[in-house]
Amino acid sequence: MNGTTDVAKAFSFKEFGDAFVGFFASLKLAILLMITLAILSTVGTVIQQGEQPQVYIKEYGETAYWWLTKLGITDIYHQWWFSSVLVLLCINSLTCFHQRFPAIWRSIRQDKVHVTVPFIQNLKRSTVLTLGADRQKVTETLALAFADRGYHVLFNKGEQDTTVYATKGIMGRVAAHIAHLSVTVIIVGGLLGNVIGFRDFGVCLEGQTYHIPQGNFDLHVDKFWIDYYENGAVKSYNSTLTVIDQGQPSVTKTITVNDPLVYKGIWFYQSSYGDSWDRVEKARIVVKDKATDKVVGEAILDWEKEATLKDLGLKLQLTDFVADFGFDSKDRRVYSKTVEHENPAIKLAITESNQALPAPWIFYNYPDLFEIQGSKYKFELTGYLTKKFTGLQITKDPGVMFVWIGSTMLVVGVMLSAMIYHRRVWAKVVPNATGVTVYMGGTAYKGQIDFDREFERVTERVKAAAPTV
Amino acid sequence: MFRSLFLFDVTFWLYLAAVVLYFGYLAASRSLLQPAVAGHPAETTDEGSWAETLGLLATWVTFFGLIVNGMALGTRAYERMQLSGTFAPWSNQFEAMAYVSFATIAGYLLLELKYKIKAIGAFVVSIGFIAMGAASLLPYRYQTAEPLVPALNSYWIYIHVSITLTSYAAFAMAGGLGVMYLLKERAERRGMAPNSIYATFPSLEKIDELGYKAVMVGFPLLAFGTILGAMWANYAWGGYWSWDPKETWALIVWLIYGAYIHARMNRGWEGHRAAVYQIFGLLMVVFCFWGVNFLLSGLHAYA
Repeated sequence: MNGTTDVAKAFSFKEFGDAFVGFFASLKLAILLMITLAILSTVGTVIQQGEQPQVYIKEYGETAYWWLTKLGITDIYHQWWFSSVLVLLCINSLTCFHQRFPAIWRSIRQDKVHVTVPFIQNLKRSTVLTLGADRQKVTETLALAFADRGYHVLFNKGEQDTTVYATKGIMGRVAAHIAHLSVTVIIVGGLLGNVIGFRDFGVCLEGQTYHIPQGNFDLHVDKFWIDYYENGAVKSYNSTLTVIDQGQPSVTKTITVNDPLVYKGIWFYQSSYGDSWDRVEKARIVVKDKATDKVVGEAILDWEKEATLKDLGLKLQLTDFVADFGFDSKDRRVYSKTVEHENPAIKLAITESNQALPAPWIFYNYPDLFEIQGSKYKFELTGYLTKKFTGLQITKDPGVMFVWIGSTMLVVGVMLSAMIYHRRVWAKVVPNATGVTVYMGGTAYKGQIDFDREFERVTERVKAAAPTV
Repeated sequence: MFRSLFLFDVTFWLYLAAVVLYFGYLAASRSLLQPAVAGHPAETTDEGSWAETLGLLATWVTFFGLIVNGMALGTRAYERMQLSGTFAPWSNQFEAMAYVSFATIAGYLLLELKYKIKAIGAFVVSIGFIAMGAASLLPYRYQTAEPLVPALNSYWIYIHVSITLTSYAAFAMAGGLGVMYLLKERAERRGMAPNSIYATFPSLEKIDELGYKAVMVGFPLLAFGTILGAMWANYAWGGYWSWDPKETWALIVWLIYGAYIHARMNRGWEGHRAAVYQIFGLLMVVFCFWGVNFLLSGLHAYA
């Protein structure tokens, strides 16, 4: 490899780079990407996302479902091609910044003051005035008129003429580029959250302590309850949680739907609630005499607490509960088939005349299913008070800070660029036999009406200050 | 409850009256136009004072409607406070619609004050009136001030909802201006008679520019409102973005107007195309505001 090819290579790199930047910085690509993103997002709202297969099959049929999953339309927002559009949007806004911002920056520092008359006359808005006053006076009037309107005014006094340059609102264009940069900051924040954040869901019971491995601390659920409005509608769901860090209670907070607990960057949200499927608060047991089928006693049992019915010589204890009775014959184990209270049953430990009987399962729906051997009585489960669980969402998202920084940039950028319009006016004051000729012209980056009005007012003010010839 | 519903009713009739007056103003001022100065009202004659009176009346009736609209929202806020301890008078579809018409009309009156163009009133006040009318067509159970469900019971509702709805109002104004542009453009193409109603409209350039301005008000507001929604979601739903249909549609609408703003950097996207696009944008906003609530399910389905 010799020097010449190196030079040639470097040159072609630059050419390639320019072509690359030119393509990616283009307005057309920006518009295309935004419309593409809008269309893809629309598809995602029309076809439900992340549902069970049967939902799609019922709606669209099996063949269509096969295609939907094949194309990834059932989870459109997490497809590589969707993310690619987002990445392209980042590249687009960044290259646009790279290509256009330096010129704006230069314009802030130093703008072109001296221009030619044809340049002025080619501007979007221009006029020619012939006035009967001297160069100095007209220049001053012009400068004052613009300065009063918040313009920054510069002069270039030449031999033949004076050029006045007035500008304001360049910050509007700077702001637009802040908004461009914000797109990348927000998307980076989103990706970061996806990669190093997590989102878990926990079903938690009152009085229990749970270990949170991601934060290496424990969470104790003190209480869960629901508040109601006067008309019976739900006002709020509340859970009181205590963080136990290294064996010591450190924070206690009552969380509600809009008010999570944050500890060591981990957020605990009140997300759902429900009836527990493996325990109850209380159960009501009616005791009947086997022989007469008459009710002889009743007991309300607290969970796992022994209760005594003295006159019947009974001790009862509620030891287990399942919401939807199921029996695993292999392991000889009772379990709850679902979380629904379809077939609730309790296990009752019975001590009759100081003798423990084999603990039977008693079914809410089938009171007469089993006869209890060695007992004078029948036991019926006539009701129970469910124990509520609280559903907590446990989330950590380190990207969220980036998202908020980006969002702030976006809002500030877009607001300022919508409110502040970049305007530039040049006026050339050329002396002639009777006074001066003023060539004045200007452009507004946006907001033409307001600019036209401003231009008009300045023109009138200059005319008023000096007699028109 | 009935007090605010009564005031909402009064608002509806006042806006209707205002729309009629604005059209009356258009009709009255068109006969003044003389061939030589098409597009510019002639010097005041007897008929001129007629038009002037109608125009003045239209503005005042609109203003009065706005006051009553504001009072209705205020009364509703008070009623909410009594019922459930929160006051945001934009807590359901009906109230949101009433608020959008309030914002649209307020925006229009500011525009009229600044640019002194009354002809636009016929179109923009119509949109405010339609919003109010559509609200009053909602079933009664949507119109009452039910207490807020837990997810909505938050301070965020005050700022997120009001800002987003204000952006809708700005887009509504842009859409109205788009319709006006197309009507005037068609009339000009067909060789408009000098005393045509369209001659009273502002110039095409001006309508175009005002439409753009309205979008430039709505666009940042929608960005701000959506981001506030994301912040709220981060507290209430356990994440700032869940691709819920409503938030996705807010993004879609925002992207659509983002494309519009970028397209306008090119000369070819002014005028006719921009006007068509503004109307298309408004239809998308209407879907985001109404369609999503009634056709798509999701986390925002509170109504």
